[in-house]
Amino acid sequence: MTELLLQQAINWITLGSIYALLALGFSLIFGVLNVIHFSHGDVAMTAPFIALAGAQALAAVLGAAAPAWLALAVIAAVFAVGLIGVVLDKAVIRRFRDAPAMMALVATVALGIVIRELIRHLYPQGSNPHAFPRLIGGVAFDVAGVPVSWFALAVVGLTALLVGLLFGFLHLTPIGLRIRAASQDRVVARMMGISDGRVFRATFLMASSIGAVAGLLFASYAGVTRFDFGVMAGLIGFSAAVIGGLGSMPGAIVGGLIIAGIEVLAQTFVPEGASYRLVFVFMLVIAVLIFRPAGLLGRTILEKV
Amino acid sequence: MNHPASRVVPRAAAAAATTILLQISGAAFVYAILSAEEGWQVVALLGLLGFGFYLLERLPWINDVVVALLARVPVVTTATAAVIVLGFPFLVGSNTYILHLLIVAQLYAVLALALNFQLGSANIPNFATGASYGIGAYVSALLAVNFNVSFWLTLPVAALAATLFGFVIGIPCMRTRDTYLALVTIAFAVVVHQLLNNFEWTGGPNGLVGIPAPTLFGHSFADPIEVFGWTLPSQANFYYLAAAVVIIAVITARRLHESHIGLAWNALRADEMAAKAQGINVAWYKVLAFAVDAFLAAFAGTIYAFYVSYISPDNFTFLVSVTIMTMVIVGGMDNIFGVIVGAFLLTILPEKLRAFSDYRLLIFGVIVIGFLMIRPEGLFPQRLRHYGVER
Repeated sequence: MTELLLQQAINWITLGSIYALLALGFSLIFGVLNVIHFSHGDVAMTAPFIALAGAQALAAVLGAAAPAWLALAVIAAVFAVGLIGVVLDKAVIRRFRDAPAMMALVATVALGIVIRELIRHLYPQGSNPHAFPRLIGGVAFDVAGVPVSWFALAVVGLTALLVGLLFGFLHLTPIGLRIRAASQDRVVARMMGISDGRVFRATFLMASSIGAVAGLLFASYAGVTRFDFGVMAGLIGFSAAVIGGLGSMPGAIVGGLIIAGIEVLAQTFVPEGASYRLVFVFMLVIAVLIFRPAGLLGRTILEKV
Repeated sequence: MNHPASRVVPRAAAAAATTILLQISGAAFVYAILSAEEGWQVVALLGLLGFGFYLLERLPWINDVVVALLARVPVVTTATAAVIVLGFPFLVGSNTYILHLLIVAQLYAVLALALNFQLGSANIPNFATGASYGIGAYVSALLAVNFNVSFWLTLPVAALAATLFGFVIGIPCMRTRDTYLALVTIAFAVVVHQLLNNFEWTGGPNGLVGIPAPTLFGHSFADPIEVFGWTLPSQANFYYLAAAVVIIAVITARRLHESHIGLAWNALRADEMAAKAQGINVAWYKVLAFAVDAFLAAFAGTIYAFYVSYISPDNFTFLVSVTIMTMVIVGGMDNIFGVIVGAFLLTILPEKLRAFSDYRLLIFGVIVIGFLMIRPEGLFPQRLRHYGVER
């Protein structure tokens, strides 16, 4: 029993970290643009495909497939996805920042369709699932007879590092200060001479690169990637960001951990829990929002008249 | 002598002629796009449509003139519309594919009108219309398959079940707002879909098969219709049934829009705080919007289930709700005609893009984004209410 619990705890913290990274992107973008970027999950899930394609291209040009090519391709994919985010912002998403909220939601859902279909058409045999290797293999050490993999450690470590970097970036750099100002009040920020364009670019670059890391880790965790993984990744990341409280970074992390927690619990302790796991996840989402309508760590805004 | 009547009569006649002409050309356009088979035909017709909306965008007075014309001779407008709707199957003849598209488009029009009460009138996002649609379909199908209940009895039962579901979703929505509210409805949609997919008594992922065709006065809906020597394929039964429900939905929407309920919803949309201050029971009207939406969606669901005689959870996913949302937003929120146009356009478009086989979803997504960017208010924006004063 202890072993099972320990094993599930490791799964929980790994999956929770990945979800938290996804949720961070939603929260960041919402904080600045007040727009739900529903295709964020799809953007994130382009990363494994770009990495696979990059590794194959490198192997074809430089000969002999080597792990180094994959590592290189993975890093390139993170940057590429960051750029994709910036381009999508400039081409589509930014235009909806002052539109009614639901319009932006529908536009980004349509954008998600476009991204998924592009993956399907541009990647050879894109409709099929593609195996994605464990980026880091091997067992680090045993805890009470339960092996802790390097991969789990790397996921948690990388998440902690990224969160730390993001926090430092937002609080210690000039552009971070501008992003925080714009997320508090975009109009006043503009009056203070903060250029919208730069803030949006920086936000999307960060959110999409962090999403790319999450996408790569998720594909690596699942061992497989498919063009439509983005739908679920988007739903889960969005839910995590919302139950944590949109615009709140700690909230996104808490939300990710909670959702991963209920998923792992359902799979472990409920008979046939694996097929009902989404029911549990979204029941929890409803329950949280009934009792905390602005999310767990969200600011409840009192409307003044 | 300038007798008032003599000035009115020719105007009315002109208005009537233009009205009839407009509606017939509209119907002709629908027929043309439905029967277009080559890729270039579809592209040309879409180009024509795009040009039309471009004109509307540049010259907004066209819209006002047309609306004024249609309102000038309401009887002629209604009569022409009735003739067109009744006569369309005769024009289509034995082409069951076109009839099928029209039935699906009409069912989506009902769903979009249902959602319009919330999204359009009250600006409440709802991603669970697909779930209400599914509940309607499953309740009636289960009753028909397991207990042999007639179609006409399952219709109200399914509507009642879905309305209860609407109330259930409505309750958490009293507290949440905007994006948070959107997530609650998304969560309900996912939960319903997953449950349908996992329960054994709903047939799991395989769904329910062999839903019997309805009968009316001894005429089975699986049989072709024969009138005055014409034979219409069996789909025509469902075409007329769906048309009847669209008409019910339109009348309901109009009546509600003109009632104090519609006014209260519009007040909610304008400013919730102000509405509350005016003594409007905000929570009740929000929940009511969910219930009305679910009620109408269940009608569409029941007809769908009996029409295709086979349903599976995949017909009622979260993405179906998104499609319905898109129809309302692209068509024009709170504009009944616009919403119907949106539903027809977005049902027929992906089918017609089959000419581009594998790329159709891609093109569909691009077109939706394009519409939202070019006409952000929707194809037919909502019109201002005229309070009190007779137009």
